[in-house]
Amino acid sequence: MRSIDVHAHLAPQCMLSTVDSGGEWHGLRLENGDGPGQLVGHGRHIPLFPPHLRYSPEQRIQDMDQQGTDVQVVSIHMPLVGYHLDPAEGLGLAREVNDEISSMTKRWPDRFAGLATLPVQDVDVAIGELERAVTELGLKGAALDTVVNASNWDEELFLPLFKAAEQLGALLFYHPQPNNNLISQQVNDKYAFGNSIGVPLEDALVVAALIFGGVLEKCPDLKVCVAHGGGPACFGMGRMDHAWQVRSEARINIQRPPSTYLNRMYYDTVTNSEPVLRFLIDTVGIDRVVLGSDWPFVGWDPSPAGWVQNLESLTQEEKDKILWQNLEALLGLPS
Amino acid sequence: MRSIDVHAHITPQCFWRATQNGGDWHTIRREQDARGREYSISGDSQGQLPPKSSWTPEQRLADMDSLGVDVQVVSTYAGFYNYHLEAPIAIATSRDANNEVGEMAKAWPERFASLATLPMQDVNSAISELERVMYQLDFKGAMINDNVNGHQLDEPEFLPFWKAAEAMGAMILFHQGGGTLVSSRIRRYHLPNSIGNLADRVVTFASLVMGGVMDACPDLKICLSHGGGYVCHGIGRMDRSWETRAAIRANISEPPSAYLRRFYYDTIVYTEPALRFLIDTVGADRVVFGTDWPYDMAQDWPVSWIFGLESITGEEKELILWKNLERLLGL
Repeated sequence: MRSIDVHAHLAPQCMLSTVDSGGEWHGLRLENGDGPGQLVGHGRHIPLFPPHLRYSPEQRIQDMDQQGTDVQVVSIHMPLVGYHLDPAEGLGLAREVNDEISSMTKRWPDRFAGLATLPVQDVDVAIGELERAVTELGLKGAALDTVVNASNWDEELFLPLFKAAEQLGALLFYHPQPNNNLISQQVNDKYAFGNSIGVPLEDALVVAALIFGGVLEKCPDLKVCVAHGGGPACFGMGRMDHAWQVRSEARINIQRPPSTYLNRMYYDTVTNSEPVLRFLIDTVGIDRVVLGSDWPFVGWDPSPAGWVQNLESLTQEEKDKILWQNLEALLGLPS
Repeated sequence: MRSIDVHAHITPQCFWRATQNGGDWHTIRREQDARGREYSISGDSQGQLPPKSSWTPEQRLADMDSLGVDVQVVSTYAGFYNYHLEAPIAIATSRDANNEVGEMAKAWPERFASLATLPMQDVNSAISELERVMYQLDFKGAMINDNVNGHQLDEPEFLPFWKAAEAMGAMILFHQGGGTLVSSRIRRYHLPNSIGNLADRVVTFASLVMGGVMDACPDLKICLSHGGGYVCHGIGRMDRSWETRAAIRANISEPPSAYLRRFYYDTIVYTEPALRFLIDTVGADRVVFGTDWPYDMAQDWPVSWIFGLESITGEEKELILWKNLERLLGL
């Protein structure tokens, strides 16, 4: 029995050491308030919270031991991706982060695997960095926001990146920003709807964009994983199927109902609820669900792996697939 | 077994008559495109009118007979909310449409019940019109949008409306009109509807709950169309948000999931597993039959769809198809 966690964030030490000494890291400065402080720059405010976000790799490993997580597939804390930066600056950010994640995986190969961050504001530059990350740094793929500035992932300009990822066998892990997404921008955010409603909505939007945009059709071997169980995509797919039946604009890129593409992607267990996880498994298949923790954000259970292990509606065979077998196979991790 | 449909729209005949020869209905016009498709033009927004939307009540009844729908709870087409127009226009269109819907229910009391449309940009006028139709025309409530010109319904200016609806026993059906939250992000593939409707509905649920409206109005009757959208699927993360954020707990003393059974939800979720999930989450006494007549997003043969579902018990089907609505609306 092992546990491999696809959904674990990193605020890189290279960033922390720069801002802690008063410096600016790709446009971000640290503002120390009463609490843990926040990163400020380019009109953004990124809280450095919870305190675990500052943990060194050694502290992180201790916390993983307490959580019962054997391996974390580490990716950037998504508000730091910097897609608004000019491409050269964005590449500088990505290289620093990716080098740091790579060094973690090399020093602790039994405990960490890594996903790159990419300057997708320039697709060619992003492809170059993905190639470097996978072939030189040994990372397993990349973590991506669900929207690129105002662009959705179904847009033609991203196709070369998908083709490159498919060629490299790289996993693309989609994860939205909790404080900067469609809902936080469109709705009064006094009750933090950006996080509670906006995050899963973004997950569903990227699932829809990849399906309806024909990305999965054009890239049959592309590996995609969507955070938070893909949000309500599986639950709401009936309405998307119906729209595909009655609206020609929904059929432009796909000749099969959108629901038939759901089992082409992977989804993590960050679903907050056993019935929701069961619904996901029954919809997409047990081979498509993988463990996620959302580290360092403490979820509804202090041990994500323990939560899965204790679920009554899952068989032990299903638990083994979710906890490690699916990810071991998907990422080619040593057993 | 009876069937009562909470989600059935009408584009009133008074609109079709007024616009017959290029005229307008309180400034609202009608246009045809090159392929003969009809559109209503209301200020700077337009909506496509499907062929059935011009049908008379008699034609509607024949279609209901074919579908197996005994009673429609009729609501005026959401394209005529007219919240974005001057209030006097919305007041006039509301009165006209409501009078016509009221006449239908009076002429065929066994087949139609009525929900009003209201000029929500003017809260006092909306309350007056709701009073008029509830007390004089025997309406059962009203259908409104998930927001009023971008304002969520938990904002303090709407509290008198909620208090009035509660006092009158009016059921408020939530249904998007015009664009949705998704419209600003992506317009392709019909996603503003297929995802957007469901997103708007969960924002409405969360606003009314976390904004304290449900606490302030304990007897308020709310029905969320399209199965409440992403509400039942996403309630766990909303609960988690309540647990970890003092600002939300300051407003409500129980987690959002404790409010699930304060709402009703229609059956427009398209798949048996989704309907089963909804029932298991909110209870069979909170789910009510809906069709979305006469639009293309309506489920085909909705009554026989429910009949044929193997995972729903006969008792649950009775509750969903008619018993819950009969009790809720006093039919």
